[in-house]
Amino acid sequence: MAENIKMVEAPEGLAGEGFFATSLDKVVGLARSKSLWPLPFATSCCGIEFMATMAPHYDLARFGSERPSFSPRQADMLLVMGTIAKKMAPVLRQVYEQMAEPRWVIAVGACASSGGVFDTYSVLQGIDKVIPVDVYVPGCPPRPEQILDGIMKLQELVKNEAMSRRDSPEYKELLASYGINII
Amino acid sequence: MSLTNETIRQKVEEKFGESVRAFTEESFGLLTFEVDRSKVIDLMRFLRDDETLRFNFLTTLCGVHYPDNQVEAQFAVVYHMHNWLDNVRIRFKTFLNGENPEVATATTLFLTANWMEREAFDFFGIIFTGHPDLRRILNMDEMVSHPMRKEFPMEDGGRTDKDDRYFGREPQNSNLN
Amino acid sequence: MVSSNLDFIPILIQFVFVAVFIAGMIAVSHYVGPKRHSKNKDANFECGVKQYGNARIPFSVKYFLVAILFVLFDVEVIFLYPWAVNFRDFGMDGLWKMVMFMGLLLVGFFYIIKKGALEWE
Repeated sequence: MAENIKMVEAPEGLAGEGFFATSLDKVVGLARSKSLWPLPFATSCCGIEFMATMAPHYDLARFGSERPSFSPRQADMLLVMGTIAKKMAPVLRQVYEQMAEPRWVIAVGACASSGGVFDTYSVLQGIDKVIPVDVYVPGCPPRPEQILDGIMKLQELVKNEAMSRRDSPEYKELLASYGINII
Repeated sequence: MSLTNETIRQKVEEKFGESVRAFTEESFGLLTFEVDRSKVIDLMRFLRDDETLRFNFLTTLCGVHYPDNQVEAQFAVVYHMHNWLDNVRIRFKTFLNGENPEVATATTLFLTANWMEREAFDFFGIIFTGHPDLRRILNMDEMVSHPMRKEFPMEDGGRTDKDDRYFGREPQNSNLN
Repeated sequence: MVSSNLDFIPILIQFVFVAVFIAGMIAVSHYVGPKRHSKNKDANFECGVKQYGNARIPFSVKYFLVAILFVLFDVEVIFLYPWAVNFRDFGMDGLWKMVMFMGLLLVGFFYIIKKGALEWE
């Protein structure tokens, strides 16, 4: 029996002879965090780094992102990678709005986080001007390991999120501050 | 016998006389001249249809802003044409009024001029009369400024978290002041 | 052992159970699940850009014709398979019957060709 096998810890709960009881939030959080299906919104060079991340060497699929989808209805997390021009901003907002809850956003790279080197009239200075962002990954472009680190941080966030968050008034307020009114 | 710059110059001067001037070849042998605003389209048609000249391809057209010139010549539109059959290129420009930059559209002669003129309109505000669909092409539709004009700053006025030191900008060389 | 009709009742029960289970799952998720609507969220997905007009446009009838004629002649071939297996047992009688069957369908085929239903343009 090898010594360096890493075992994942089970969440807190009551274990017994053939059963394990824990709270539903924890189980759902665990399931969600280990199966985040990405929507790659790749516009620039960070998109190329993401392609490398999805390739077998750095393999994003082993983190549960087995099925990248370009349809927002079928994706969990929106990965915005690359420079977003002001002309593209309403498109990005529409794609985010059409995603089904629960949804998370990662801003990959300097351009998505804050406009990057492109401090000009045509570049949106950070996507958090149009959509709420959960994780920012700095870099220009970030290495695949950094992108994976960002996704792992998102996994921690997802694991600890309450199931009722999407119905809460704070979430509605957050969306309303971006002009998205969910009834 | 290949088509030389002298031949082109002779034929153009013969046809247009007073309306063309400032012939030069200082750009690596590329024949460059100026033409009056009203004669631009006729010149292009002549260059395209003449049997010796045969400039069948409009490579590009773009705008330039010269704020230091006198009002009559503050905007320029530069056209590049290319003769595929003899492999000869040519450049000509027209100067436009600073308050009212207008020139006739080239879309009647070359369909590619459609988007090129939209770009010149988007960035300089040059109106091409007769253009079927003159609206912004690269910038967002709600923009009010014409960004490539010298009076508009390159930086975004709404940015909140950029530190000017990292961009090499001090008060004396920043465009925003 | 001889199987009677009563032996198939468990299969019927299984079918009924499956139908009730599926319907029940759909109903439960419809009534218990969260509902969040907004005008943009319910709009058709058009890669984020504005949608103009309807996606339903009329298309050529030639696609339908080719498909339906294929189905017809394919069913004819299906009828030919049992005859092919029992060819000797059917004898001359069977041959004549099958030739009549195929002849009727062949008349239909000539009609189609003459009418130009298979013309692609």
